[in-house]
Amino acid sequence: MKKILYSTMYSFKEIKNSKIFYSFLIFALILISGSYFVSQTSFISQGRIMVDFSIFAITIFNIFIGIFIGSSIVYDDIEKKSIFLSITRPVKRTEYLIGRFLGLTAAIIFSTVIMMLIFYFVLLIMHKYVIPLKPFAGQPTIYSLPQPLIIQALFIIIESVFIAAVALLFSLITSKALASIFTILVFFIGNVSSKMNDLVRPVKKIIGGKIVIVHQANHALTNIVHIIYAILPNFSIFNISSEAAYKIFISAGTVFYRIVYGLSYMVLLFIISSLIFTRKDIS
Amino acid sequence: MIELKNTTKYFRIGFFGIKKNAVENLSLTVEAGKVTGFFGPNGAGKSTTIKMIVGLVHPSNGIIKINGYDSMDYKARLNLGYLPENPSFPRGLKGIEIISYYSKLLNKKIDKNEIYDALKLAGIFYAKDIHAHKYSKGMTQRLALAISILGDPEILIFDEPLSGLDPIGRKEFKDIIFKLKERRKTIFFSSHVLADSKELCDKIAVLVNGRLIKNEGITAIEKEAEGYTEAKLNSSKNHERTPDTTKPEQDKDYRLIAEYNTPLEVYLYDLMRKNKKN
Repeated sequence: MKKILYSTMYSFKEIKNSKIFYSFLIFALILISGSYFVSQTSFISQGRIMVDFSIFAITIFNIFIGIFIGSSIVYDDIEKKSIFLSITRPVKRTEYLIGRFLGLTAAIIFSTVIMMLIFYFVLLIMHKYVIPLKPFAGQPTIYSLPQPLIIQALFIIIESVFIAAVALLFSLITSKALASIFTILVFFIGNVSSKMNDLVRPVKKIIGGKIVIVHQANHALTNIVHIIYAILPNFSIFNISSEAAYKIFISAGTVFYRIVYGLSYMVLLFIISSLIFTRKDIS
Repeated sequence: MIELKNTTKYFRIGFFGIKKNAVENLSLTVEAGKVTGFFGPNGAGKSTTIKMIVGLVHPSNGIIKINGYDSMDYKARLNLGYLPENPSFPRGLKGIEIISYYSKLLNKKIDKNEIYDALKLAGIFYAKDIHAHKYSKGMTQRLALAISILGDPEILIFDEPLSGLDPIGRKEFKDIIFKLKERRKTIFFSSHVLADSKELCDKIAVLVNGRLIKNEGITAIEKEAEGYTEAKLNSSKNHERTPDTTKPEQDKDYRLIAEYNTPLEVYLYDLMRKNKKN
């Protein structure tokens, strides 16, 4: 257990010092700060534009971190041969892999927290979307983010770590570039699969008191879309930016179900990665 | 002690995955407390063998045991230090941070003084607070050596430890190996530089095309080498001269003997050359 902890800390430090991580973080921070100027293009709903724009920036840059660092965290270690000194210590390969993955998870949490903090300060300056809280009478007012925004931040972390697990798995069986491409594809399909699934459903109408199918997509296509929808993860459930923009309360049940969904997929992907990594020749 | 029994490693190459043997039916014992040199030309399978011993590569067939444990079991590495060929470290971390991390992966508690001792022995203590990506090749090699000797392991495996080092670096590195030899460590190192053989090794193993062609003690092999070189010199002297080779200096064997410093080097060179498939 201690070895996993040390490995996590070392990986986190390594990622934190990497150029790619800094670049994504700085870009995201520029975009979040720039959301103010974007919101000025509208006369109404400036706050909503800011929230939409910033949530998009935080999501996309964390997803990038998940994809690009996830596909290189073990791959580069093997390519640069720095892995040679790690796994020739009395360490199990799975321990090493868990350490690397948790290090990346810590880096994603770190970047999300930093981005959310900057976002919070921008909202605080604009005095939009922040909720005044007065815990005790006579004490200064504390401003908090609304519940859906905090839940959205949590979902961004889950989604990015999930994507990182996909990238890690691909990087163990193919090259870094291909792993990134495949992960982007999985992410894209995972985001549109539920919409596609809705599209191929038969269109029914009530005509003369009876339910009649007025349009039915090709059967083969329908089956393919259903299979993709069933097998590939549905990433769209982690996107609650509309709820966040309209401050719609997210129930605890929904949050719990989506977290369990994400974690179960991650564990499954990690077990497959671990099985591949244990059998892999590192030369 | 390291034991390899009928170890074979093949890799699948090309689109059809044709098997190609990197190491073929290798049986070798690395005795405790001795320095064993593992020699062979480039591509002979030395690094693959070492990677199988340290658990990086799975053997296709055969058994590899380290102190009784299977090489793929992490327990086999409880008392083992490994210095890879051309080691590298991640960006943005200082030498001391890197070695501290590796010290925590050992099953023993390593204190600061032990880390400093390893750094001092490897001659890199002065650069411990510099970021490792700013190190020269020699410095990186020294940091990797410090990591490999951390925790005072009983078995040390070095893969081409002297390659790419300048003459001063080579001399200093050899001195470190001598110090470790004095401490009765089991050292197994690979090299294709024959000059390293006599001064460092107690035992020599020669691998060519994945097959072990020699595995003997230094005294026996030296004796064999002397006889071989003498015979070669005599044949060179008695060689019928052609217009192209009017002087003995122009003879191929004579030139070979003149090029190498010791009969052992000449013998090992010829052994590798004769067994190498072209």
